[in-house]
Amino acid sequence: MAKVLMKGNEAIGEAAIRAGCKNYFAYPITPQSEVAEYLAKRLPEVGGVFLQGESEVAVGYMIFGAAGCGERVMTTSSSPGISLMSEALSYIAAAQCPAVFVNIMRGGPGLGGILPSQGDYFQAVKGGGHGDYHLLVFAPDGVQEAVEMTMNAFTLAEKYRGPVMILGDGMIGQMMEPVEFPDHLKSEPSNKDSWATSGMDKRKSDKRNLVRSLFLDPTELNQNNLTLKAKYDRMKKEEILYEGYNTDSEYKVLIVSYGTMSRVCKTAIDMMKEEGIEVGLLRPKTLFPFPEEAVFTAATKESCKAVISIEMSMGQMVEDVERCVKGQRKVDFYGECGGDIPTPEKIVEIIKGLL
Amino acid sequence: MNIDIKGIVVICGNYGSGKTETAVNLAIKRKMDGIDVKITDLDLVNPYFRTREARVLLESLGITVILPDRQYMHADLPILAPAVAGMIQQPSELTILDAGGDDVGVTVLAALENHLAKKKVQLLQVINPFRPFTEDVKGCLRIKEEIEASSKMKITGLVGNANLIDETLPEHIYKGYDLLKEVSSATGLKIEFITACSDIYPQLELNRFSCPVLEIQRKMNPPWKRLSIKGVLTHGV
Repeated sequence: MAKVLMKGNEAIGEAAIRAGCKNYFAYPITPQSEVAEYLAKRLPEVGGVFLQGESEVAVGYMIFGAAGCGERVMTTSSSPGISLMSEALSYIAAAQCPAVFVNIMRGGPGLGGILPSQGDYFQAVKGGGHGDYHLLVFAPDGVQEAVEMTMNAFTLAEKYRGPVMILGDGMIGQMMEPVEFPDHLKSEPSNKDSWATSGMDKRKSDKRNLVRSLFLDPTELNQNNLTLKAKYDRMKKEEILYEGYNTDSEYKVLIVSYGTMSRVCKTAIDMMKEEGIEVGLLRPKTLFPFPEEAVFTAATKESCKAVISIEMSMGQMVEDVERCVKGQRKVDFYGECGGDIPTPEKIVEIIKGLL
Repeated sequence: MNIDIKGIVVICGNYGSGKTETAVNLAIKRKMDGIDVKITDLDLVNPYFRTREARVLLESLGITVILPDRQYMHADLPILAPAVAGMIQQPSELTILDAGGDDVGVTVLAALENHLAKKKVQLLQVINPFRPFTEDVKGCLRIKEEIEASSKMKITGLVGNANLIDETLPEHIYKGYDLLKEVSSATGLKIEFITACSDIYPQLELNRFSCPVLEIQRKMNPPWKRLSIKGVLTHGV
């Protein structure tokens, strides 16, 4: 199809429809409310349902219910709303149900502000809810990538039978870019007969399915955790995505940055290249699983003297970068998280300070 | 053909049709023409990319900018500055009200009804056919009806803002103009002007258009594009 001009939020909504999602439950919050506005108009056209919950807590369990029935389902929210959904996220992960959660991050902690932030890295990557679970976390850097990751998220949620998160920030949600919707990312729902509570009438097996997160028997609970861990290990083998920018050069500094922040870094890298200063960028596109080997390899290139994690946070992903670099290089950090995104000039100034 | 718009002009249209980019560039163009210009940001529905982001630039050019109090600049609250009523009562040669998107975005006009009713007001609908819901005449008319019902005002003219931002080609401008002509003949509304970004303006065959073309320079940019030629930030709040 021809390109259209869309806000990230609208494009995420349309991508969900193109992926075959007909169930969308949400509660409005800036800066992601356009997803709900868009889907409120579009879902009835394709026989789908948008239902606004009375709170994000309710929405989390509406998602659990639909996912447990084997339906393709999505919610979108922004930081404080995701906090309220975190309990349900833990339940959904434990019960092994596929669902797509979108967090268009705003400034925090608390109510914070409505401007862009990357302050929910820990929440998305390290848990958020309780217990030993992970989300597969995608970090798009623009509207087109948000579309592709959203469509893919439904397939992967079913492949791993668990929640997948799209972690964007307010800029990704609010900005407009030309976008097209790829046909090749459409997928058929996988076979749910073995686990979903989809009703006995259409199912071939006569086994009753039970979706639950309560395992009182210690052996059984341990087994469930081992099953989850095996999935996360498989994700680490099969799902890692990242991009290198100017990494073919003999760069002296390696920036690790994701999402909106990485685009500012790219502009800064182009500006420094004109001055003859080579800087590389490693951009994780999946935050869990994290591109551990790629970061280590890029950081330990002979020309590379310093590594810096640049984030719209007070320093979160930097902990993963340090872990991956294994002490082979000094790892610095720069971040702002009030809502004003650091400018390319500021990044140039910071990088020059490392040289 | 020159743009000679004067008086009180409300810019409306569907969400993301480019109202603010159009309003800001129209304000700058008319100021450059030598007339006094006032502009206000009535966008109570959009949290980012609002006229208020161009305040520094507009004021440096001598354009009066009416905004909510600074402490509410980044709030997603429906704040209507009292000074807006004042600027309608005492308009300058051109007074631009940049409304929010869709019918929801012009609800605010109903709150200003008492002030607007006493004045001659132009209500211009901005159309970008590359945006969802306005890709055809039917969609444009539906938005028009919704805006008119919500604002309690009638749309008086059309503005074409066909674009795909950086990926805009002359063919997109021509396609947008063709749609606009269809909307114009379906409604009887005049095409006030169309826009074209300065990168592609020189490539356009202007004799294809029977309306003026406003050459625009993008002011509403994401942070990685916010540099001017001199490498200096050109806006901020």
